[in-house]
Amino acid sequence: MHVHVREPEFDAIVVGSGITGGWAAKELTELGMRTLVLDAGRPIAPERDYTEHTPVWEMPYRGLGDRRDIEARQPVQRRSVSFDELSRVFWTDDVDNPYSTPDHKPFHWFRARQVGGKSIIWGRQVYRWSDLDFEANLRDGIAVDWPIRYRDLAPWYDHVERFIGVSGQAEGLSHLPDGPFLPPMAMTCVERHVRDRMLATFGGERILTIGRVAVLTVPHEGRAACHYCGPCHRGCITRSYFSSINATLPAAQATGRLTLRPFSIVSGLTFDEGTRRISGVRVIDAVTGAQREYASRIVFLCASALESARILLNSRSRSFPDGLANSSGQVGRNIMDHIKWGGASGAFDGWTDRTVVGERPNGIYVPRFRNVTERHPGFIRGYGFQGGAGRAGWRSRAEEPGIGTGFKQRLTDAGPWSMTFGGFGEMLPDERNRATLHPTLADAWGIPTLHIDCAWGENELAIHRDMNVTAAELLEAAGARDIRPSTSGPSIPGGTNHEMGTARMGRDPGTSVLNGWNQAWDAPNLFITDGACMTSSGNQNPSLTYMALTARACHRAVEEMKRGNL
Amino acid sequence: MDRREALRWLVAAAGSRWLDGPGPDRLLAWGRYVHTRAQRPGEPATRALDAHANRTVIALAERIIPVTDTPGATDARVGLFIDRMLADWHSAEERARVLDGLTELDARSRARYGRAFVDCSEPEQHGLLVVIDEEVAELRATPPDQRPGTPADPDDHWFATLKFLTVWGYCTSEVAQRQTLGAFPLPGRYDGCAPYPVRPAGDA
Repeated sequence: MHVHVREPEFDAIVVGSGITGGWAAKELTELGMRTLVLDAGRPIAPERDYTEHTPVWEMPYRGLGDRRDIEARQPVQRRSVSFDELSRVFWTDDVDNPYSTPDHKPFHWFRARQVGGKSIIWGRQVYRWSDLDFEANLRDGIAVDWPIRYRDLAPWYDHVERFIGVSGQAEGLSHLPDGPFLPPMAMTCVERHVRDRMLATFGGERILTIGRVAVLTVPHEGRAACHYCGPCHRGCITRSYFSSINATLPAAQATGRLTLRPFSIVSGLTFDEGTRRISGVRVIDAVTGAQREYASRIVFLCASALESARILLNSRSRSFPDGLANSSGQVGRNIMDHIKWGGASGAFDGWTDRTVVGERPNGIYVPRFRNVTERHPGFIRGYGFQGGAGRAGWRSRAEEPGIGTGFKQRLTDAGPWSMTFGGFGEMLPDERNRATLHPTLADAWGIPTLHIDCAWGENELAIHRDMNVTAAELLEAAGARDIRPSTSGPSIPGGTNHEMGTARMGRDPGTSVLNGWNQAWDAPNLFITDGACMTSSGNQNPSLTYMALTARACHRAVEEMKRGNL
Repeated sequence: MDRREALRWLVAAAGSRWLDGPGPDRLLAWGRYVHTRAQRPGEPATRALDAHANRTVIALAERIIPVTDTPGATDARVGLFIDRMLADWHSAEERARVLDGLTELDARSRARYGRAFVDCSEPEQHGLLVVIDEEVAELRATPPDQRPGTPADPDDHWFATLKFLTVWGYCTSEVAQRQTLGAFPLPGRYDGCAPYPVRPAGDA
C-alpha cells in the first residue's frame, strides 16, 4: 500500500516568544527555516501597548494601582519588582492561571502571556558566565556536570551581545568575562566615591563596576539610544532596550519565513512511537477554545522554565507515562532561583551641591568575590551585589513629621545621598525542589497546572546571611554613616524571577533531560533552550546565557537537519 | 502594590530611581500649564466625602502643603484625588476610619476654638494639625506592643492616611511635577553628578 506522507507545513515550531523564543525565531528564520512561533497571549503593538511615557497624573491611581482589582486578579504577580499600575497588563491573571504550593512553602511564579513574553518586563542586566560556573557542579560534587564549558558558549555570547547591544565597562575579570560593550552608563558622584574607596580597601578583590545592561547608549542595529525616561518595564517606543518585540521578532519577520500565531496555548507535544520523534504540537486557541495540532521537523520549547516543564509533564504517552522526554525522571526537578533581599544601605554626607538628572535604567554591580580565589568556610558558590546611590526624593519622606511650609520644603528638596547593595545569590540544584502536575487543579482552559514544592537550602541561607555582612563592610570602607543591614530575611523562592533547571542539560541520559546541544535525549527533534535547561544557577542574571544557548542550539539543529540527522 | 510595599520598594531601590519615576517626554511637546483651582462650579461630584467633609479635606490638605512660591495642595486638586482613593482604592474599614477622623477633627476644633475646622482661621487650623501630627509621630516612635488602642499600625491612623494621600496626590500632580519638583519636562539625558539645585528648564 502506498502511504502518502505529507510534508509538514513548517520546518520548525517555536513554543513561546519571550527572550529565548524570540532568539529561536530570529536564528531559525535567518538560517532558512520556515518557522511557526506560538505564543499563549495576545499580540503586542508598541504604538498601542507601550505606556512608558504616560505621565503619573494621567494614571487613575497615580501609580498606586487599582488595588481592589489587583488583589482579586493578580495577588502573586503584583509581587514582581516590575509590576505597577500600567505594566500589570504584561503579567498574567492569577485566577485564570493558578498553581499550588505546600502550606508554609510559598513560591512566587511570575508569568507573562503575550507576544514578547517577559522580555518586555525583564530587568535587562546581562552578565556572562565563566568556567567558575560551568565547572562548579563537577568541582563540588553537586548534581551533574555541565556538558559544556565557557569556550563552547563564548562565541555565542559574542553573537548575542553584538545584536542586542550591551552597555558596560570592561574589567578584565576572568570570572566575569567582558564582551563587545557599548559605552558604559555614568555612575553617580557617590557611586564613584564608593568604587574608589573599595579599590583602596580591597585592592581589586571586591570591585564596583557599572551594571552591564541591554540598553543602548548609542544607536545600534537600527535602534535608538536610550533617552533616560525611566520605566522600561512599560515598554520602549524608541526600542532602546532589547526585547523580542523591539529586536528579534522584527528581524525574524524581515526574512519572510516567520509565521506568528498569538492566542495559542500549547497543551502538549505528540510523540510518535515509531519514529521516536515529536510529530505534533497541540494547541488550544485561547479565545475560542478550538483545538488543533501543528507539525514540523523540529520543535524548540521556549515557554519559560516551569511552563516548559509543565508542557512535558502534560505530554504523556505509552513510552513516557511520566511526561515526555522524562526517562531520567528529572523533568520538573532541580528548580533554582537566586536568593535576594540580603545587603545593606548607608547614608553619605556631602555632595549636597550635586544631584542626579535623568533616570538611569541601570545600577551598579559588584561581581562575585566569595569562593573565587579563596574558599569560604560557611558556604560554596557566591553572590553579586546590585544597587546604586542617589538622593532621597519625596516618596521616602512622606511619613516624616511636620506640616506647612517647612514640611513642604523638606519634601520637595533633594534629600541626603544614600547607597544600597542588594545581593543575588546562587542556588544549588536539589532534586527535591520540584514541580509536579497537580492532580485536580487546572487553568481556565482545562490544562492541568503545577504543584511547586521549592525551598532554600542551608547553603543559600548562609549566602544570604553573608550578604548583610559584606555589604556593610563595603559601606564601612566607603565611609558611610548610619549603615543598615537588610532586615527583610530571605526572598521568597521564585521571587527573583530567575527560575530555572527543570529540564537540565547533562552528559548522561540517565541523569539529565538534555544533551550538550539542548537536545532532548529521548526525542532528538526536541530542543529546550529556556531556563529549564540550566544545570546550575550561577549568581549572574541568567537571560544572556539562555539567549546564547538558544542561538547555539538553533545553529546545531539546522546543521543536523542539513546532515539528514533530523 | 500597596502603599507600604511601594515605600519599601522605593527605599530598596535607592539608585534605581527609574523604577518609580514617571516618564513622559511626549509632554515636551505639550508645553502647556493649566492653572486650575480645585472645586470650582462644574467640578465632578465627590463620592466618598459629603460637602462638609470635602471642604474639611481640602482645607486640611492645603495646611499640610500650602501654596508658597510654588503651587499648594488646592492648586494640585488634591481633594479630588483623596475622594477618589477613599471611594475606589481604600477598604470600607479604612474609609470609615478616615471619615470618623474628620468628625473627631471637628470635635477637637470646636473644643479648642469653638468652631468647625473649616470655619477656623488658617493659623488655628495649622495649630490643631500640628498637635495631631505630633501625636502620629509619637505613635510611630512607640514600640508596637506599647501602642494604645486601635489602629495598631500608625499608618492606619486617620491623619496618617490623609497626610499620605495629600503628599502622594500633590507630588504626582501635573502642577507639582512641573513647577515644584522640576520633574518635567524630562531632561532626555543622564548625569549622575549634576549641579544642584538644577537650573530650571529654559533658564539659559
